[in-house]
Amino acid sequence: MVDEALFEFLHMEIVSHVYKEQQSSKGEMDNKDRAICVSVLEGMGFRVGQGLIERLTRDSPSFKDELDIMKFICKDFWTKVFRRQVDNLRTNHQGTYVLQDNKFALLTQLSGGKQYLDQAPKYLAFSCGVVRGALSNLGMDSVVTAEVSVMPSCKFQVVIQKL
Amino acid sequence: MTVHNLYIFDRNGNCLYYYEWNRKKQAGISKEEEFKLMYGMLFSIRSFVSKMSPLDMKEGFLSFQTSKYRLHYYETPSGLKFVLNTDLSVTNARDTLQHIYSNLYVELIVKNPACAPTHTLDSELFSSRLDSFIRALPYYSPRAA
Repeated sequence: MVDEALFEFLHMEIVSHVYKEQQSSKGEMDNKDRAICVSVLEGMGFRVGQGLIERLTRDSPSFKDELDIMKFICKDFWTKVFRRQVDNLRTNHQGTYVLQDNKFALLTQLSGGKQYLDQAPKYLAFSCGVVRGALSNLGMDSVVTAEVSVMPSCKFQVVIQKL
Repeated sequence: MTVHNLYIFDRNGNCLYYYEWNRKKQAGISKEEEFKLMYGMLFSIRSFVSKMSPLDMKEGFLSFQTSKYRLHYYETPSGLKFVLNTDLSVTNARDTLQHIYSNLYVELIVKNPACAPTHTLDSELFSSRLDSFIRALPYYSPRAA
């Protein structure tokens, strides 16, 4: 097993680098800049997720349906990537799923409650991209967003796009 | 049996963190002056100890005691200095300080992207974990002996 600190430190620096790059062109960040940073991070995560899912499903049989795929994401995929399983999966059976992780690996060192809440979304963008990339390579186009109210618990909302 | 207070200094002498659990008497000077005094004293005593040592020394200065309290010192290879004041019944707090460094500081400050390493540490998670850790020590009690 590889030391997870390696990825955590790299992730911290990726986020800080993307924000610094965006900020250096102007004096301060406005909402458009912040949105650009988040989408850059999410795009990186997307590519990583695509690659990861190829590697993780090499030996598994094909999935029965959407719900089966989501359960795989919540259990095996989450375990391999974030070292724990998703605590709660909810769905409206019409393409929207909410995954709740009560001790999200990238938020545990940040805070135990409400401190630094405004900075949390920066550190979730990459992970949203990872989930979206994984689903995309399994044949499901989606939009993944994350929300945090009390750290380290967070919710990822996955909306499957029907063509 | 009790713990009085804890200071954390970085390698440049800035005080990153200070917390007290049981302090009956204040120093009579402002907090900044107190931190400067503490850091200056540590710096001088370390160089004194290594100069005057009659034998080759690995660790150097570990602690000093007075009639009422003992000061324990731990320096990490990265230059961070942890200073813990306890009462006289605690002879060796080195393991405690080492635990504070590796399990609390490294986990919650170094790995915290929102905590810049040169500013005072204001992570609430760090404060609360440190507080519960100190209170759970076998030699801690809320009232001084």
